[in-house]
Amino acid sequence: MTDSNPRPRHDLKWYPRSWRDRYGSDFEQFLKDRYGKGQLPLSARLSMVRSGTVERLRTGGIVGSSVDPDTRVRGASLLVLCAWGVFIVAGSAFAKYTEHWPLATPHEDHWLPAAAMVAIQAAAAAGMVIVIMAGLTCLPSFVEHVRSEGWRSLWPLARPMTLSVIAAGVASVGIVAWNNHVGPSTTTPLGLRMAGVLAGLVVVGALAVGCGTLIAIVYRVRLSPRVTQFLGILAVAMTGALMVIFAGALTWWISTALHAPWFFGSLVPRSPTSPAPLALIVLGLMMLSGLVLAGIGAVRIAILRSHVGEASPMAF
Amino acid sequence: MPRSERPKGLRRVNDPPLLILTSLADGPKHGYALAQDIGEFAGVQLSPGALYGAIARLEERGLIEALPEVERRRPYRVTAAGSAELAEAIREIHRVVDVGTHRLGLLQGRLA
Repeated sequence: MTDSNPRPRHDLKWYPRSWRDRYGSDFEQFLKDRYGKGQLPLSARLSMVRSGTVERLRTGGIVGSSVDPDTRVRGASLLVLCAWGVFIVAGSAFAKYTEHWPLATPHEDHWLPAAAMVAIQAAAAAGMVIVIMAGLTCLPSFVEHVRSEGWRSLWPLARPMTLSVIAAGVASVGIVAWNNHVGPSTTTPLGLRMAGVLAGLVVVGALAVGCGTLIAIVYRVRLSPRVTQFLGILAVAMTGALMVIFAGALTWWISTALHAPWFFGSLVPRSPTSPAPLALIVLGLMMLSGLVLAGIGAVRIAILRSHVGEASPMAF
Repeated sequence: MPRSERPKGLRRVNDPPLLILTSLADGPKHGYALAQDIGEFAGVQLSPGALYGAIARLEERGLIEALPEVERRRPYRVTAAGSAELAEAIREIHRVVDVGTHRLGLLQGRLA
């Protein structure tokens, strides 16, 4: 494509670089032949968004079998990391939502939800340990990459994460300070509530950007087959931890719904007591979707683990 | 070939991979010529994403191969493996067509 007509080049951004290198100029010529130099129809754009996203997932080893088993195991492990990110958000909200459950539950009915909460906390701690272990496992390869390529190769990737983490930190500190200034006796002002929601969104955004940055960096770093295999094992272990968290949350929910259903109503003034409040349904669905992601990743790792180190099935 | 071993995308008559292989069966074509030809013989207008996604998958499986570019257009041609795959898919479609034709009594002119 010549510089006089940059439009198709812009549309091709949905596709990964390897795909653009292989099919880009042919594809651009096809678009020119079919649609001329005018605007692409919306249907064509949408088909390219969908197809480009699929190609990115394929290149990243998350779907299909286009790339070597190492990349696929790495992609599956990163999928589990994304699932962990989803659980961090949903789990934090769940912890906040359920923090006063012992006050509403009769003492003789405490043991099951208490056991579920202990299991959730233990699995969450295990998940954190797994993420730290994964980070330490990748550290030598990361240092090697920085030594050979320099920080400049990673800074464009790390910059959005740095900025979003700073924004999340400032928002969190600000909201805590404001909350402390207001004090516990008065009802929470609307402004503070709105700011709280905004700060929560900034933190969630920072987490998403952080996950995206980690994924981009891990794809750039050269990992040995042994490291890749170990990351796969950690990802499967993480999936186990997420399953425990989900099972624990579900157990707590069912137990509380049976023995202390008024707990759900007491958090929403003037609303009838329901064993399935919207907030818990949303959190449950978030966890379930995270669990599905992790499950897909773990199954792919289990299938591919013995093939790590083998050559790519194709070479574009 | 057992159903489970057949590559994805050769199971329905209007699947892009089957349409592309059919179009390439009479000689190499580039993307636009492929889309035009498929539109004419099958009445299917493949979207850009679907067409090039299918081309990439077929090339990945070794069922088609790219030829050198001509004026920025890259022609593709079907490989021996692609021809065999197409032949098997057509035989299967024929079996279904034969059964349907027989059961509807089209050959006897009952519904014709």
